[in-house]
Amino acid sequence: MAEPILRMRHVSKRFDMTQALDDVSLDLYPGEIHGLVGENGAGKSTLIKIMTGIYRPDHGEMLLDGQPVQVQNSQQAQAHGIAAIYQEPMVFPDLNVAENIFISHQDRGPVVRWGKMCRDAKAILAKLDVSLDVRQQARGLTLAAQQTVEIAKAISLDVRVLIMDEPTASLSAHEVTRLFKLVRSLRDQGVSILFIGHRLEEVLRISDRVTVLRDGEKISSHLREEVTVEQVIRDMVGRDVSDFFSKEDIERGELLMSVRGLGKENAFQGITFDVYRGEVLGFAGLIGSRRTDVGLALFGIDPADSGEIILEGTRRRIRSPEEALKLGVAYATEDRRKLGLNLSMSMASNITLPMLAEYLNPLGLIRRRAEISTAEEFRKRLSIRTPSLTAEVEKLSGGNQQKVMLCKWLNSDPKLLILDEPTRGIDVGAKAEVHQTISDLAARGLAVILISSDLPEVLAMSDRILVMREGRQMGVFEHADATEEGVMTAAMGQYTTAQEVAP
Amino acid sequence: MRFLIRRFQPEQIRELFLVVLIVLVVVFFSSQIPGYFSARFVNRISTSVVVVAILAVGQTLVFLTRNFDMSVGSIVGFTAYFLGQQLWHHPGIPPWAAVLLAIGVGMLMGAINGVLVAYGRVPSIIVTISTLAIYRSFLVEYSDAVPITTNNLPDWIVNLPPLSLFSIGDVEFRLIFGIMVLVVVIFQLVLSYLPFGRRLYAIGSNPAAAEIAGFPAQRMVFTAFLLSGGLAGLAGFVFLARFGNISVLAGIGLEFSSIAAVVVGGVSNMGGSGTVFGAFLGALLIDLLENSLFRWQVISEFWRDAILGMLILSAVAIDYVVIGRLRRAWARAGLQMSVEEAQEKPEVAIHAG
Repeated sequence: MAEPILRMRHVSKRFDMTQALDDVSLDLYPGEIHGLVGENGAGKSTLIKIMTGIYRPDHGEMLLDGQPVQVQNSQQAQAHGIAAIYQEPMVFPDLNVAENIFISHQDRGPVVRWGKMCRDAKAILAKLDVSLDVRQQARGLTLAAQQTVEIAKAISLDVRVLIMDEPTASLSAHEVTRLFKLVRSLRDQGVSILFIGHRLEEVLRISDRVTVLRDGEKISSHLREEVTVEQVIRDMVGRDVSDFFSKEDIERGELLMSVRGLGKENAFQGITFDVYRGEVLGFAGLIGSRRTDVGLALFGIDPADSGEIILEGTRRRIRSPEEALKLGVAYATEDRRKLGLNLSMSMASNITLPMLAEYLNPLGLIRRRAEISTAEEFRKRLSIRTPSLTAEVEKLSGGNQQKVMLCKWLNSDPKLLILDEPTRGIDVGAKAEVHQTISDLAARGLAVILISSDLPEVLAMSDRILVMREGRQMGVFEHADATEEGVMTAAMGQYTTAQEVAP
Repeated sequence: MRFLIRRFQPEQIRELFLVVLIVLVVVFFSSQIPGYFSARFVNRISTSVVVVAILAVGQTLVFLTRNFDMSVGSIVGFTAYFLGQQLWHHPGIPPWAAVLLAIGVGMLMGAINGVLVAYGRVPSIIVTISTLAIYRSFLVEYSDAVPITTNNLPDWIVNLPPLSLFSIGDVEFRLIFGIMVLVVVIFQLVLSYLPFGRRLYAIGSNPAAAEIAGFPAQRMVFTAFLLSGGLAGLAGFVFLARFGNISVLAGIGLEFSSIAAVVVGGVSNMGGSGTVFGAFLGALLIDLLENSLFRWQVISEFWRDAILGMLILSAVAIDYVVIGRLRRAWARAGLQMSVEEAQEKPEVAIHAG
């Protein structure tokens, strides 16, 4: 076996509360496609950002041809022959194809020779067996074609390590086949490729070696022929579920909402489920499974364009968040810092914001005292730790911020609460408290839709689990039948094994 | 048709449209004002457009990177005053040194903007509005309210504006107009043929991609501000030569004129597209309208600004609606052509469709 081109040795990286990478080592060999898989948050992105110089590791080192290297920015990565292609192609829409290929070159002389540049670009594209007009602006290209331009750029830079971060996420099956052909021909030219993907079948189809990351740690690394699909899935999910709080068993209440064939163009279709009072319905799936889009549709931010929503026996249309709140549907966003909370305002002001009309005196001024008493009530109920009710929310910990956001929507007295990634980015203790809160809410007769990428969380907290993949409903599992393997298999689109695990 | 689509980009059509518009404006006012179009009028326009056109070139560089330079009005004022004072106290300074001094002072001021925007990551609108005020106050403090007058200046600079390189009939090609033409040509070439120029387009076109593309994007944004400052310094030199009398109010409002010129000239405020030549045409159209409306008694002078405002708004509207459509049409045509070509040689798979 040849010597590896790039070795990552004992790399660790920590962000605030989360250990994104913990002592990960990885070797990339020339002429090999190295598949990297893991759940959301397993540390894949962090690893490639360290390779390309966007982040610097806390510990560990990178060896290029056996020599330690420091990569501080994209220029240095490029100089070392390391290039990355992202899910969203990073092209310059105003420049033409040839310019996009050569924009980063430092060695093409002081003056742009347009004729030569176009000829060279054509030659590179011809080598890739691709037909594109090199004088066309990148603006009009399909995503697949933009990706090709990026690959051409990498090749023109004599890339030795090509990192592909979910390059197939927005491609059609036909385009994926084309891409794979391209990737294999690069491999045959001796390039080392790190291929990151969400669709397991694809990763296994293209890779020569498969490495699994989980919670920032390297779990396994095998040659492709040595592993089975089942083993990879087990490595991806195999976590100790006992860390998680389980929802208490509550008698299922009456039917609250029925959704039939809900769809939205270019997002999701055929979503059908019932949700009962006192029940937690989990939404599982990987990034790009469009779970959040369903949540946004139910809350009226991005209304659905087909299908029906029946709430307490009446057919309803939800066209705006105001309508949703009136009907008793509330939605707590996944991005609490950007969309959920006003960080520079106090806890009290945040909680009363959606229902501010009820806190006005006859003159239209805010009744501070009423605000404070509401906030105090919630502080006790959810045991929020805050220096004071008027302290800025910014100063609270992630878990307490999350609880404030819950209060904000609970204050509207909803019948259905949609929680999108309620425990993302908060530590284990706070997680357990949020889980406790969700369980309590269900016990009070609230229906909860829990959208979460954290599979053990969904499994522990949900009475039933709806699994989505790329905008389609892959099935609904009862709590008793749901296993990590089964849900993950459905989410990754492995139909055959899905049937075996969950008949 | 295919040839035409390959040959011309929407931006060039837009520049052609500006030229037509300029001709239409001249024709219109010729029919309204007796004796409007004369050699004297051409000479006046070619002199008065110089300052704003030079500023518009610098503003274009900054605009391409999705930034603004609001401080140029104060840079013009300060360099004009500073240079005037130096020439007053040291009349022996040779002309070339005077020009370099003005450019140098301007670059220094531009460098401060550039450092804060590119390396300090402060939004350019905030940085340059602040320096607009700071540079102006600096001028007020520095000048001690003593104005520069024509009498204090050496003869060569006072006599510079009417100095003609050559003339065709009564139409003169004046030196300062020549300087402006040189600036426009040089920077048009820079933007088309230097990697630096192309990367300015890249930065404005997709700032996130520019960060990770592997070229020093920050340094290029800095350089754009540096050059904008330097060109504002050069404009300050021309300003001093043209007006001779410089008070602390010199150059107020020029930042708006330069931005108006680039916007009318088709430089996108979202960066990534536009040309120096277009910005020059924008400056010319605005200057022409200002001078013409001034002579046209039908419209009250209070409406002149409103007309200019409407011109800017319609330029932006054209940018969003017409140019947007043209671009999409071009993109479709490009795809169509790729597909057709792929079908002509069936062994090459279709990848663009």
